[in-house]
Amino acid sequence: MITTELLRLMLIDGLMAAVAAIGFAVISNPSRNAIFVSAFLAAIGHALRFYLIKTGLEISLATFVAASFIGLLSIFFARVIHCPAEVFSFPSLLPMIPGMFAYKTILSLIKFMQNSDVLKAQGFIMDFFHYGMTTLFILLALVVGVSLPVLFFPKISFSVTRKY
Amino acid sequence: MNNELENKVPTIEQIAVLLTDIASQLMTSGAHTMRIIQNVSRMAKTFGYKIDLSVFQQSIMMTISDKNDDSKLLTKITKIKPLLLNFTIVSELSALSWDTYDKKLPYEEVIESFHQIVAQKRMSRWLVLFLVACANAAFCGLFKGDFYAIGLVFMATLAGFFVRQEMIKRHINHLVVFTTSAFVASLLAGMGYVFHLGATPEIALGSSVLYLIPGVPLINSILDIIEGHVLTGIARLVNASSLIVCIAIGLFTSMLILGLEKL
Repeated sequence: MITTELLRLMLIDGLMAAVAAIGFAVISNPSRNAIFVSAFLAAIGHALRFYLIKTGLEISLATFVAASFIGLLSIFFARVIHCPAEVFSFPSLLPMIPGMFAYKTILSLIKFMQNSDVLKAQGFIMDFFHYGMTTLFILLALVVGVSLPVLFFPKISFSVTRKY
Repeated sequence: MNNELENKVPTIEQIAVLLTDIASQLMTSGAHTMRIIQNVSRMAKTFGYKIDLSVFQQSIMMTISDKNDDSKLLTKITKIKPLLLNFTIVSELSALSWDTYDKKLPYEEVIESFHQIVAQKRMSRWLVLFLVACANAAFCGLFKGDFYAIGLVFMATLAGFFVRQEMIKRHINHLVVFTTSAFVASLLAGMGYVFHLGATPEIALGSSVLYLIPGVPLINSILDIIEGHVLTGIARLVNASSLIVCIAIGLFTSMLILGLEKL
């Protein structure tokens, strides 16, 4: 159920994702329009994912749904501002990149290497596979999700920068 | 230059140089392989040539041949400069390739607008620095860090990203750059542990290095693999993973110095 409390949390989540998307977008130097669109898409996508996770969906599935929603919207926006879809759909995915999981993977590997106690080492290798698989599946979900619409409508997606 | 003025029709060599330059510029700016091939093929078609293109991490190999005369062909290999993301260039070159195709732009005009697009100035580095710091602080908020953690991450990212900008300007090996700036950022964020600031110092430490995660190369690599350019995709994946390993090394070094055993 959507309550006001949940809505408030979703709003905060979306806003923070938007700020994050703007900051990570400017590293790749896109045009000004694209920055705003990617902030908007990131807010919607991240809030959607937040909601889905709250309703009990597993994180990589939720990411997949959110990413395909972003992909669908980004094709629409690509038509509007005449700019390849990935220019703003990639930055809007960046807040969802499993960075925390990725480096926890490496960290648990380093801990495994340094630990001589067998029981603890087993725990670290479990962590390694858990975090590693999560990272991999979230990444796959992000990219497959965002490119599904492109694969469905290839004509539209590859001719958005065409002006005539 | 004199050649150009004397005969209007550009030679196959000129076209080849232009097209490989465009392809390598797209690769440097962070386009995925499918887009590079489509853009360049479209332009080649306009000039009356057909091309076969192989894109690798370090070089681009292109064979260009005349549409009507198979004996007229040329193969060129061009080096690719190290990755410097620039999506303005990607979208404008993509638009240029459609313009070339639709308006049948002459060679001189294409090469002129190509040089204009490449010469464009980037966004001010100080603004980028500030926005990245804000972004990473917001990221820390997404992971449920408290206000102390958010403040710490803001400062840490400011310092870390500044170090990265300065080192990239001096053309230092990018693995070293990533390790050092991860080290600087996490050392500053680790101050939360040292001075007992807030209730979530571990989130501050963890998210202080996340601004370095190479998101665009990671997405590009998976996209390349999906679209069948497996070799390029794996090369990008290995590159991105080695950067993540460097980030972890930087983080781990500062944890050793601060005497933190667990995260």
